[in-house]
Amino acid sequence: MTMIAILVLLIAPLLAGGLSLIVHRSALLHAINLTSMSLLVGAEVMITRTVLKDGPFTALGQLVYLDALSVFILFIIGAVGLACSFYMRSYMDDQVARGVIAPTRLNLFFFLFHMFLLAMVIATVANSVGVQWVAIEATTLATTFLIAFWRRRESLEAGWKYLILCSVGISLALFGVVLTYYSSLHVLGDVSEALNVTQLLPVADQLNPHVLKLAFIFILVGYGTKVGLVPMHSWLPEAYTEAPAPVAAMLAGVLEIVAVYAILRMKMIVDHAVSPAFTGGLLALLGFASFVTAAFFILIQHNYKRLFAYSSIEHMGIAMIGFGVGGPLGAFGGLFHLLNHAFAKSMAFFAAGNIHRRFHTVEIGQVQGLALAQPWTAMALMIAGLALSALPPFASFASEVQIVTALAAQGVPGQWLSNSGGMVTVAFSNQFTSLSLTGLFLLCSVLAFSGLLYRITSMVWGTPPEGIVRGEAWTLGHLPIIVLAAALVGFGFFLPQPIRQLLEEATRIILVH
Amino acid sequence: MAQRRLSACVDLFALQSAFLVLTAALVAFLTGNHHIYIAAALTGVIKVVIIPRVLKKVIERLNVKRELVMNVNVPAGLLICGALVMLAFFITQPIIPLGFLLTRDSLAIALAIVLIGFFTMIARQKAVTQLVGFLVMENGLFLGATAATYGMPLIVELGVFFDVLIAALIAGIYTNRLQDAFDNVDTNHLTTLKE
Repeated sequence: MTMIAILVLLIAPLLAGGLSLIVHRSALLHAINLTSMSLLVGAEVMITRTVLKDGPFTALGQLVYLDALSVFILFIIGAVGLACSFYMRSYMDDQVARGVIAPTRLNLFFFLFHMFLLAMVIATVANSVGVQWVAIEATTLATTFLIAFWRRRESLEAGWKYLILCSVGISLALFGVVLTYYSSLHVLGDVSEALNVTQLLPVADQLNPHVLKLAFIFILVGYGTKVGLVPMHSWLPEAYTEAPAPVAAMLAGVLEIVAVYAILRMKMIVDHAVSPAFTGGLLALLGFASFVTAAFFILIQHNYKRLFAYSSIEHMGIAMIGFGVGGPLGAFGGLFHLLNHAFAKSMAFFAAGNIHRRFHTVEIGQVQGLALAQPWTAMALMIAGLALSALPPFASFASEVQIVTALAAQGVPGQWLSNSGGMVTVAFSNQFTSLSLTGLFLLCSVLAFSGLLYRITSMVWGTPPEGIVRGEAWTLGHLPIIVLAAALVGFGFFLPQPIRQLLEEATRIILVH
Repeated sequence: MAQRRLSACVDLFALQSAFLVLTAALVAFLTGNHHIYIAAALTGVIKVVIIPRVLKKVIERLNVKRELVMNVNVPAGLLICGALVMLAFFITQPIIPLGFLLTRDSLAIALAIVLIGFFTMIARQKAVTQLVGFLVMENGLFLGATAATYGMPLIVELGVFFDVLIAALIAGIYTNRLQDAFDNVDTNHLTTLKE
């Protein structure tokens, strides 16, 4: 039964992609898309039940490995993907009707979308670190065209920048994979399984720590480019601004998280061989760099799509701090934050897409009176904005509190500290740094919060400019917005049992020693 | 690094790839690992024949022969490359003795090639030369994979080749489109989206 579910997971996007190329009617394209996404979600539910009952397992001759962590990532892919599919129903039709996209290019869009999805599913379920690399590179290739889909000057520019930066990043990650293989070769021998997570984890403490340290740095920089961590983030604001709204939602909501997942997988292996202090210190360092930089850039944005892009960098930084600090609270908070961010950010981009279609501008200053012009979208924007600023009662408040508590209690692990001076100095400086870092964290959250909410409220209130139609008709595209908003508020109060269990299991997997 | 003529850059890349094929074939012959032969053959077809041909076509269409402006001048560029090679040897120093393979020293060379490719991407402005820099990086990675570890698992290698091929094709198409939109494929003109 689970076997079938795994096959559905892989074949549904492939088949849908193939069909999209030959079908030309837009209604049929959407039907294929929705069917394939629903099948995908159904398969995920079945796999989740098996994993929660029987624990991790491999399938398809060791090629597929599924545990609570990968199932959790699959859950995010499925949820955001399905939401996007519903949203695209009204968004793409509207674009075609207004002549922005030629109807003949619609099937190309869906083909690329399905390939993008397939690559992300493979990257999540792959057992081999190498296959995972191939799949993540494939996401770059599929999304390059999606980002540049409008073929304007700016979108071509954004696409080129994305292609070049991410290809370079991902090449560095490949060097990390080669180094990992170099180290596992001595223990496991020259077999094709020597890159499998299931083979690497049990023998991880016999692997050479020097090689793995080097490998981890390369992989962190490589996949970190894809996550958009500072200082490898410069492609991200452009790509998010130029990509069509559903694509931006997928990039921000899912692709970043798949790249984080790849880093976490590597972190687990390196943690066994070296120590969590090494990997954690690096993650927290990049996390803080991203968080602080993004918090300041949020303050000066006057383009709402760029605003959300920087907010993505900020939240990925926060999640990275959570994983870097570690401990049950930090890791749980990090994972939970990934989920909340995926929901809130895809919602924000859906709202941004709606606004752009009505106001034809991305300038915040030219958008006013959204509450009168598009009441549904205004509500969605407010909810997404509040969730992204991590206010109670939203779930992101809970996850951010967990991370900051872990940070205050444990401080940032760092090997460079233990090298400097005696035990007393280390204890003192550790406490001191943890306090000052907690202070920095809170300061930056306040900055990001005020920057984001100030801009959003200025868009929502006021009177709409001349010539902007008031009122908003209900479409299918509003359904995912309502569901995501409900989930964002609901998870803050009460986490459904399966999701909670999944999160706890995944946390245990990350922390296992 | 010092070459300004674009087509010569592509030729040099093809030459480097040809040497890579020889290395891979040698490793395959010495170790008797048959799957490296497949990888070597694929490199030959893709990197010595297909990609240079695609790039030449792009250059012809774009009608740009020489790269006049470089971010770093030639002597400084060569010096930096030398420094990068030393850096590569320095980084890999502690881990090279761990290898028991006869070609383990090439790990340092592989890293050096990756770094030089990376530097080329930074130092050059034309889209085509940036692309060549990227492909040089891939070559370095492939050398690292075959020489230091006797090749990665076959399935990974195939995937890597597939990706490189697609990346080159996409970039080729892209430079054409950029040409339509900007008249001149100088990435310095790609500055509309500045902060």
